[in-house]
Amino acid sequence: MHEFLIALTVGIALAMLLSLYRLLKGPTLWDRLSGLGLVGTKTIVLLLLIGRITNREDIFVDITLSYTLISFIGSVALARYFEGKETQRS
Amino acid sequence: MSVVAYALLSLGFFFVMTGVIGILRLPDFYTRLHAMGKTDTIGVALLVLGVAILEGPSLNGLKILLIIVFIGLASPTATHALGRAAHRSGLAPWGNSPTPNDDET
Repeated sequence: MHEFLIALTVGIALAMLLSLYRLLKGPTLWDRLSGLGLVGTKTIVLLLLIGRITNREDIFVDITLSYTLISFIGSVALARYFEGKETQRS
Repeated sequence: MSVVAYALLSLGFFFVMTGVIGILRLPDFYTRLHAMGKTDTIGVALLVLGVAILEGPSLNGLKILLIIVFIGLASPTATHALGRAAHRSGLAPWGNSPTPNDDET
């Protein structure tokens, strides 16, 4: 049943492309940051599915765990850095 | 057992696509954050749970469950931090309110 997992990987990649639109064209800075968070969370699923398809779970699970930590810490740190600053323009 | 995993993967993909449609179509930042935060948390958690069930009971499956716990902790925190930072920076909500931030106490 690898065909289902490959189709799911393509679908997740399509969702990543559509959220990249919000990251590139967002009218405010906050839209760009939320698009960055969306791409980050979808990357977690994409890495796990690639590891499952290629039968290298032992490597890809560790990569996914560290990517999860770094992605969320980066998102919260960027939000706290821009908090309270007048950033109406993009 | 794998039928349950494929059902969870399909349901998670449905939630992820719903969040993506919301973030493309909704009118301003707060409504987009509303669409993004919840659907992305539950969708990605369901997808990772499906992969964990496919993996079976092993050390890798335990690590994948740890990823689910961390997503449940960190994704609402990141969404809340984004919304609070935008509100404190004076980003006005969408609507016909006469002054921005008129609900500030």
